[in-house]
Amino acid sequence: MSAQGGVQYSKIAEIKGPLVVVDGVDSAAFDELVEIQTTEGERRLGKVLEVGNGKAIVQVFEGTTGLSVSGTSAKFMGKVMEMPVSEEVLGRVFDGLGRPIDGLPDPIASKFLDINGEPMNPEQREYPRDFIQTGVSVIDGMLTLVRGQKLPIFSGSGMSHNILAAQIARQAAVVGTTDEFAVVFAAIGVQYSEAEYFKRSLEESGALKRSVLFLNLADDPAIERIITPRVALTVAEYLAYDLGMHVLVILTDMTNYAEALREISAAREEVPGRKGYPGYLYTDLSTIYERAGRLHGRKGSVTQMPILTMPSDDITHPIPDLTGYITEGQIVLGRDLFRQGVYPPVNILMSLSRIMKDGIGEGRTRADHQEVSNQNYDAYSRSQEVRALAGIVGKAGLTGVDLKYLEVGDSFEKDFLTQAVDENRTIEETLSLQWKVVSLLPKNELTKVKDKFIDQYYKER
Amino acid sequence: MGSDSALERTVEKIIHNTEEQILSNLKQALKSSQDALANSHVSLEQEYDRIISEGKKEAEKLEKQIIGNADLDSRNKQLVLIEESIEKVFDKAIKKIQDADRNSDYSKLISSMLEESIRTIGTPDIIIQTNSKDKSVVQSLLSKFSGATLSNDVIDCLGGIKVQSKDGTMKFDNTIDARLERLKPLIRKDIASKFGR
Repeated sequence: MSAQGGVQYSKIAEIKGPLVVVDGVDSAAFDELVEIQTTEGERRLGKVLEVGNGKAIVQVFEGTTGLSVSGTSAKFMGKVMEMPVSEEVLGRVFDGLGRPIDGLPDPIASKFLDINGEPMNPEQREYPRDFIQTGVSVIDGMLTLVRGQKLPIFSGSGMSHNILAAQIARQAAVVGTTDEFAVVFAAIGVQYSEAEYFKRSLEESGALKRSVLFLNLADDPAIERIITPRVALTVAEYLAYDLGMHVLVILTDMTNYAEALREISAAREEVPGRKGYPGYLYTDLSTIYERAGRLHGRKGSVTQMPILTMPSDDITHPIPDLTGYITEGQIVLGRDLFRQGVYPPVNILMSLSRIMKDGIGEGRTRADHQEVSNQNYDAYSRSQEVRALAGIVGKAGLTGVDLKYLEVGDSFEKDFLTQAVDENRTIEETLSLQWKVVSLLPKNELTKVKDKFIDQYYKER
Repeated sequence: MGSDSALERTVEKIIHNTEEQILSNLKQALKSSQDALANSHVSLEQEYDRIISEGKKEAEKLEKQIIGNADLDSRNKQLVLIEESIEKVFDKAIKKIQDADRNSDYSKLISSMLEESIRTIGTPDIIIQTNSKDKSVVQSLLSKFSGATLSNDVIDCLGGIKVQSKDGTMKFDNTIDARLERLKPLIRKDIASKFGR
């Protein structure tokens, strides 16, 4: 940071959607921070999207409402957008641009970090392996989260994704160590009630003092949403790599982020890709998701749990589709389970944690974890087929084994999947429940589990 | 007579059987009530354990909540106090700057500010604005900067200059106020470190 400021230009050529075109600019830099000043003296922040031919296109985060071509000036700050970071950010609430909104002063910064982060050297990345206990059986048992992973929740409008994310944020712990765990929560265009729920939930569990909240609410400027995940991840990286904390980052709702990106792209008259989203949506999303991970020689980790609501519950929509290419699996919430009142309504048949296998097993969770999980997966899948068959031929037409699978399906949803919002199950309890479910089947149906585990854990019901 | 004794035997047998039945029923009732009592002990103990465990969990939750919030409250109060002290330091520093002598060192500072401004704006044809205190200092330096003119308007600032290109499209704020504002986060950090932060 230097004492020297930037030049203020007063020749505004055009205001187009969220963009301001400044004329006569010859020394602006790509991504440079810009302060837009209105005739009334109001200041808004923006960044340079394009420079050339004496013009600079500036994206105004707080929107261009009320700006006029005459009287508006743009000050080029000579630096990219930075976030002041220090340990003091813990327990604080910021707006979507990283400014405090909790009535307290700006945190005293130890560092000022570029919000775009520094790309991780792939060679320096450490493979994520350590189990994070969320206390939610379906995640710990079948979609295990590991430190440094990026595991999104694909949900639909109105479903209980925020309740689930808040539960994970409250309960997440690194079992068997005293390592510190922090939560960075970024609300991107969510309703006030949802943000308030998160805040209250963290407050009530005493977890607020190890959390940082960034709130861009539904009525806040849409363009600000481009910045919110980036400031949140900048803070998360500082907590992880400078202070050695294990950080869980919850980004909700990434669909709103993509919508903001589409708005800017449309204003720039770029060639639209699928459903009007820009062709670089994949690249842009990866600049966010790829900021999860661990580094060799550094104690901390950044684990990401982005939440996105699939428009019309369509998993082939560009946002979940491209997200799925970048992240290491996905947790899909099912509308049918939600309607039945199952919480958490995780549709395990569509969900996957790609690096679960490296974070479980002997020495991490328990030796039988992978096998009993596979057996549950297999049994639940079969139960779904049997349910469909029963819908056609009726229960009377089913064999004895088929009827057992029907029972397994019911038990899976009732005993294993369903749990209270404040119920924090240990991994031992989760694995016991998985055995309880598959113990409804005769032993000879357990083809995914070794005999020694069957002898040890199977309890005929 | 013969039939009477047979009747009596039958009645006795019935009475005997009934007695046995009643006794057996009583025994059974006693046993089942004893079993029920024993079972209710177990379920009562289980219920008791459940209530105690839930109570413990709730107490732990409340403890965490109270401690967490208390920690946060005390930290926040500390932040506010430090900020107040930082603001006091700033106020004193600003007062000192305001009262500073406009000596040769200050003239050198204004000269370097002018050079910096011309370099940043990219043209020597500029209009300079300053406060009433610094007007004479700037005036004395104008000969060194051909193309620069001093505006008759005065601005309200601690010191330093504001320049703009003659066509009015570019402005550069190089006042002490603007520099202070830009460096404030770093200065705050330095001041806070004096308070042990």
